[in-house]
Amino acid sequence: MPHIQLTDDLPGIRALFHFRPETAKPLCELADVLLHQPSSLSQAERELIATYVSSLNDCYYCQTSHGAIAAHHLNGNEDLVLQVKRDFKTAPISDKLKALLTIAGKVQQGGKRVTTEDIENARRLGATDREIHDTVLIAAAFCMYNRYVDGLATWAPEDPESYRRRAAVIAQSGYNQIPSDIQAQNRASAGGVTS
Amino acid sequence: MKPMFLPGVEHNPQPSPHTDLIRKMQASGAEYPQIWHLFAFRPAATDHLSRFTQEIMRGEGPLSPGMRELIAAFTSYHNDCPF
Repeated sequence: MPHIQLTDDLPGIRALFHFRPETAKPLCELADVLLHQPSSLSQAERELIATYVSSLNDCYYCQTSHGAIAAHHLNGNEDLVLQVKRDFKTAPISDKLKALLTIAGKVQQGGKRVTTEDIENARRLGATDREIHDTVLIAAAFCMYNRYVDGLATWAPEDPESYRRRAAVIAQSGYNQIPSDIQAQNRASAGGVTS
Repeated sequence: MKPMFLPGVEHNPQPSPHTDLIRKMQASGAEYPQIWHLFAFRPAATDHLSRFTQEIMRGEGPLSPGMRELIAAFTSYHNDCPF
């Protein structure tokens, strides 16, 4: 049960977005820039970084929802997402992505754990400064999102199918839509009365 | 100041308020926090972080700005982040 009174209709961070729309908007816009908008890293790669960090933080909602979005971008390959979470070093992904996941994992432990060797290794495998920058920001942002979701004990659905359905929507339309969708739902459930 | 891990970030500030701030500090030879380089490098992302910070730290709410800064300083201390 959530630590504060939240709407029952929405799981995880979406209940928090509903609770506090003013902070929801920049948080969703940040997620959209980092995960959805065009980048030299694919959407699947960026969602895998977010999923991996969320799994290290033991955030069930975030790792399952972003894992489902990653799988969606990977033509439904949920096994690959699972392999990345369990042991990305043996997963069939590029060496560059492995180097970026190593950096993301260090950021999850604490920013100062990232070493010049980690950075040089990623560069040697073809990562640009922009890609390394975005990896660190995705990892840091997800530590925030994960702590936000679990620090208020939001509930998370258990049915994997509900995450797959939701993933298809997010993969298509991105994260910027979320705050206005929640407001629209809110108005509809209030019987058309705007607040 | 020590160079950052990513020279591509440190030496590629984009047009933004933080870039202006960095130039001013560099011109006067003063030290400045290198988080400004992060904000200057990727304003498309970090503008959202600035707006989030503004809302959570200064937006309307029952906690005073001083109390909120105290929570932020307390958390940063425990994360071993002196800035």
